[in-house]
Amino acid sequence: MTFRSRIFIAISSAALLPLVPMAQVKVGDAAPAFTATDSRGQTQTLQQYHGKYVVLEWHNQGCPYTKKHYDSGNMQSLQKEWTAKGVAWFTVISSAPGTQGYVTADQENAYVDKMHAVPTAVLLDPEGKLGHLYNAKTTPQMIVIDPQGKLIYDGAIDNRPTPDPDDIRGADNYVNDALSLSMAGKPVATAYTRPYGCSVKYGD
Amino acid sequence: MPPSNLVRGQAAQAGLYFKLEQGWHVYWKNAGDSGEPPHIKWTLPQGIAAGPLQFPAPQRLPLGPLMDFGYENEVLFPFSFTANTSAKSGPATLHAHVDWLVCREVCIPGKADLEATRTVADVPGTPVEPDASLFARLGNRLPASLPAGTKLGFVSTPAGFKLTLETGQRETQAIFFPADQDILDNPASQTATPTAKGLTLDLKKDANLANAPDQLRGVLELSGGRAYDIAAPQGKPVAVPATANIEHAEEPVPVAVAPAAERSSPPASHGPGLAKIIGLAFLGGIILNLMPCVFPVLFLKGLALVNSGSEERHRLRAHGLVYTLGILVSFWVLVGVLLGLRAAGAHLGWGFQFQSPVFLFLMACLLFFLGLSLAGQFEIGLSLTSAGGGLAAKQGYTGSFFTGVLAVIVATPCTAPFMGAAIGYALAASAVATFAVFTAIALGLAAPYLALSLQPAWTRILPKPGAWMEVLRQVVSVPIFGTVIWLAWVVANAYGSEMLAALLVSFLLLAIAGWFLGRWPAKGWSTVLASLIAVGVVALSAYSQSIVEPKFDSRQVLTFNVPPGSFWEPWSAEKVARYQSQGMAVFVDFTAKWCLSCQVNERIALTTPEVMKAFADGHVALLKADWTQHDDAITQTLEKLGRSGVPVYALYVPGEPNPRLLPEALTPGIVLDAINSLPRNSTQTAAAASNKQ
Repeated sequence: MTFRSRIFIAISSAALLPLVPMAQVKVGDAAPAFTATDSRGQTQTLQQYHGKYVVLEWHNQGCPYTKKHYDSGNMQSLQKEWTAKGVAWFTVISSAPGTQGYVTADQENAYVDKMHAVPTAVLLDPEGKLGHLYNAKTTPQMIVIDPQGKLIYDGAIDNRPTPDPDDIRGADNYVNDALSLSMAGKPVATAYTRPYGCSVKYGD
Repeated sequence: MPPSNLVRGQAAQAGLYFKLEQGWHVYWKNAGDSGEPPHIKWTLPQGIAAGPLQFPAPQRLPLGPLMDFGYENEVLFPFSFTANTSAKSGPATLHAHVDWLVCREVCIPGKADLEATRTVADVPGTPVEPDASLFARLGNRLPASLPAGTKLGFVSTPAGFKLTLETGQRETQAIFFPADQDILDNPASQTATPTAKGLTLDLKKDANLANAPDQLRGVLELSGGRAYDIAAPQGKPVAVPATANIEHAEEPVPVAVAPAAERSSPPASHGPGLAKIIGLAFLGGIILNLMPCVFPVLFLKGLALVNSGSEERHRLRAHGLVYTLGILVSFWVLVGVLLGLRAAGAHLGWGFQFQSPVFLFLMACLLFFLGLSLAGQFEIGLSLTSAGGGLAAKQGYTGSFFTGVLAVIVATPCTAPFMGAAIGYALAASAVATFAVFTAIALGLAAPYLALSLQPAWTRILPKPGAWMEVLRQVVSVPIFGTVIWLAWVVANAYGSEMLAALLVSFLLLAIAGWFLGRWPAKGWSTVLASLIAVGVVALSAYSQSIVEPKFDSRQVLTFNVPPGSFWEPWSAEKVARYQSQGMAVFVDFTAKWCLSCQVNERIALTTPEVMKAFADGHVALLKADWTQHDDAITQTLEKLGRSGVPVYALYVPGEPNPRLLPEALTPGIVLDAINSLPRNSTQTAAAASNKQ
């Protein structure tokens, strides 16, 4: 009976299922080094910012959860506050060409101007390399790296996983907490949360 | 929404229903790597309370390197309303603010304010349509509590966790949906390894998980869509109580709690179900007499009964008992062998003897020889009709005994699909229970003939013997030859054309032997010659097995234990309709052994690992309509599809009246595109599209 051989194939194929090539980023470990091109055409590396706090913010301008934080001005004020304190803030766009949130450099620069966003730079990652390197799952997903290059926070932007801007007020912002505590020389209390939002629109 | 009246002190069932356009999904309570489950906030009159949303078992929704858990097409989240004594009589407005996230590749948050008016009363109301029919259709999809006695546990491994489940029977498939976030690496594949008593499932943990949880909580889905709420404790598998109390602790509705005695999970072997199972097994045994495998054999016994004169009645009774004994003994032997082999570690299911090439070979030869005899080529000395034939008592009893044995042997392939529940239960239970159940089947199988032989008065209803019996006997040879063809087909498919050639040579030899017996029936030498040929056939079967490499490891799978929806099943129009009604897409492969392009397509397109994976991920039911032998139902279906021959590949999509037809020449890409275009699979489209770039 031929279905037996099919079962055999199915069993062996199940065993050979390709494991999704996601990096094993772990809070407390060294943040993986990266090199990326920003929307102004500059090359940015993590190494350049050794000695500074670095924030990575995964971004998709069409995603309702990202919109929640941009239309309300919440993300911009975070960027403003923390870059003023010497933090390097990178907005990362890992949407593949043809998917929601993919933008050319010009489109992104126009968006940044229009939204009055003030990140240090916007890293364009259409191949998803940076996204995979950091196992970014959603937009927005936030990563905080300390001056020694150690990953100290990975997860959601706050504790209100909704697309409703009304939920920003009174929310516990994990990025603020991580940066404040770490700068005060204290351990980060909430270092890992489930990021919420839209899935990152990878091309694979 | 609940029925028209809310009765004080009683829970009324209600639900939140989503009907989704093709490709969109909403999320389970743990949405996975992205997404959010629906939330509901109530504004309710005093004295009325609503329970939490309950979530049916989800499906895995892969999205590039991510994995979400949710629902496509449509889903009903049930919950309950209760009105207590402080609720005012009369109309009550139930107001809900619902928000949800629906995603395809992109996500759209939705919210709505829903309102319904119901009457608080002391008498039950009437069902409200269309809600009631919606409930009838979708209301029963919540994960169940694990059956009492099921054992569950997990241990930490370097990669994550190994979950062990003991249901008492071999399990082939499992998917675990974690209720807690950040426990598992969601997209990682989960490797299920069947064991004799259940299975183990290897799970990969979330890279950031510091400490193993005390419990793995979530939903475990086994083959055939059996989904259970589980809370597996760390450590060795232990019998766990039903998890409903853990999962729905916040449920305000007074749930009827099972008596403590029943909760204390008695061992499966002595559970309250045993008597019922034995009863069912007995009934099943009786019905087995009508199965095509057994009917011809039983028919012969019937003929013998008709033939017997009244003076032989007393002997008939003895024959009936001997026949019963033959059935009992052969069942016991089969079960004993099966249990022995399983104890020795072999993965065997009922009907295992059909996985042996020698058995198949000899079975086909025996039936072929029997068919020749029935068709009239010769009379077998040790006749199956000897019971009333006036032969020496001893020889007759031997004949009766072996008729019973034959009935059991040919019955086994029919028992497995027919009495799967009883047999599955029996094989999983203790040895004593196993023997009890199989004894019941055996007695059921023997019962009709035994009853007739014990109560001669009943034989009066049988028609008088006459020439019609000879005609009928010859007609019975037709299904026998049909069975021979089936066995030959199995041999050819499992062991290749060399084995088939050897089998056909054996048939020729047997036909010659039959001719000797028929031409010179009274001569001793013809019997000797026929016996020599029979010995030659046995030798040939053993020899042919030694030269033929089996195409598969016969111990890998159970012949009749294929879970629906996971692998190719034989086609039937009913199955197509059934899977569609369950919201599953159905792929039908109209094929035939003699159709070369069919074989090519199956090899290069349908059975490749990536296509099989896509089918599995998309929960596409796979049916194979085999047109190798004439089949009116398949022919008619082909005509309806506007085709007159094979190959034809049809993809039935829920909600679409006509199937989508694929081209006759397949490539993996064509099949993958077709799978990805399914409504429930839109999440994979991005992946497939990029594969082609």
